[in-house]
Amino acid sequence: MKNPAGTTPMRLEGGGLVRRFRGGAGLRGIDLSVAAGEIHAIVGLNGAGKTTLMRVLLGMLRPDAGEVRLDGVELRSADAATWARVGQVVEQPLAYAELTARGNLEIAARLHGVERRRVDELVDHAIEEFDLGRYAPVRTSRLSLGNRQRVGLAAALLHEPAVIVLDEPTNALDPAGVILLRESLLRRAAAGAGILVSSHHLDEVARVADRITVINDGRAIGPLDPHGIDLERAFFDLVLGDDAARAEAAQGGTARGGTARNHTRRSAP
Amino acid sequence: MSARVAPRGLLGAAIAVEARKARSSHVMLWTTVLLVAGIGVLALGILAAVAAGEEQVIAKLGPLAGVGGWAGLVGIVVQVTAAGGLAAFGVALSWMFGREFADGTVAALFAMPVPRAAIALGKLIVYAIWAVGVAVLLTGVVAGIGLILGYGVTDAAGFGELARLPLLVVLTALIGVPAAWAATLGRGLLPGIATTIGIIVVAQLLAIADVGAWVPIVAPALWAIAPDSIPAAALLTVPSVPLAFGGLCALAWARMQLDR
Repeated sequence: MKNPAGTTPMRLEGGGLVRRFRGGAGLRGIDLSVAAGEIHAIVGLNGAGKTTLMRVLLGMLRPDAGEVRLDGVELRSADAATWARVGQVVEQPLAYAELTARGNLEIAARLHGVERRRVDELVDHAIEEFDLGRYAPVRTSRLSLGNRQRVGLAAALLHEPAVIVLDEPTNALDPAGVILLRESLLRRAAAGAGILVSSHHLDEVARVADRITVINDGRAIGPLDPHGIDLERAFFDLVLGDDAARAEAAQGGTARGGTARNHTRRSAP
Repeated sequence: MSARVAPRGLLGAAIAVEARKARSSHVMLWTTVLLVAGIGVLALGILAAVAAGEEQVIAKLGPLAGVGGWAGLVGIVVQVTAAGGLAAFGVALSWMFGREFADGTVAALFAMPVPRAAIALGKLIVYAIWAVGVAVLLTGVVAGIGLILGYGVTDAAGFGELARLPLLVVLTALIGVPAAWAATLGRGLLPGIATTIGIIVVAQLLAIADVGAWVPIVAPALWAIAPDSIPAAALLTVPSVPLAFGGLCALAWARMQLDR
């Protein structure tokens, strides 16, 4: 996946990303990149900042500091052609209850900038890829949560985006859906897409990811080896070690008369 | 790697998408049915009450009670539409905009080549087209009622009165647009509906008090009550409402963050 200069192009880059919320949550300076052909997974406990990070990377939230580049283009300068190379599901998928599964895919194609004459072809392909044939003429309001998620994933990926961002995409999917998604992501990465995916399922992440980054307290605290033996233990070692280090730093700050935030202490399961 | 973009026609894509959503939704269909059928039934009921000599209804109608034929029918319908129509238009707009937040689908409208401002404008354009359709449909239904009541024979000269009706419907739809902005800022349906109720109350109170001919949200209601009391130029101020609030709406969608 090299460019003419012999280097691998970056599909997605975030540098020094800071976004603070009232109450102390948010991002505290994250650097993260996804190269062409790479599946980069981010894992972390609830509230670690994964969704906030994805929102900032996609322009859903403006960062207080830092920069985002989508396929080499600075986010603030991103034009229609740049956004047409992006596919995402963060929180709710594009699945309007009043439309059929096919109808949702057709409007997704239009919104992704697909030329009208190509819509049917791409929608047919997406229906086949995500095994949605039975549900294509069914109103989305009548679909199960898992099938609605399949529709949303198909809607996000049907235009073959180069930059893919998926937040907990296996949520609600049945085992067959998980496999379809896995194959779909591996195929797209092999074709040169850069994929950022978040998940709570370490086993699933290990199956697809080239790289895993652990997010905790709004920071990237370290990598996990996708081929490691005990991923769960390695994950908790990193998170608990980070919690302990921060608690210690906060106590030091308090002892020096500074203000310290409260941290929730966790213990390994 | 990626599908080719059609750089032109992004607004066209937004309009097509919003039109499809509106066509498929029960909300828009039932709003149309309830509005048109409701106004038709109400107008017939009022005419029947006047014919039966119901004093309270006659007192409410004021000078309109003594007007028969097409002018009387249209006069009743435009008065009902000025309030009832605005409620229906406000509900429809609140749904079109607020549902994206209530259903959570707004997140899927980010990171797309079609800008969010175009999506907001697409919604407003579809709303305007729908409102024109409602105007035509309601005028047709009222014409049918008038013909059934025999006005085609007894008051053939007054048929032209019907032309007031589509104009009033469209003007009423135009002053409903602040509901879209409110639903956007409030991130849901209820702020839009509350704003609509506020506009109805202010417009009706000022119209009854016979003030505010030059206030855009009042002019249609005042024109409905007493067409001669409103200079034509005052009605021309009405489009300032959708222009201002449509612009605010597009701006709010363009600058939106998912921070709530």
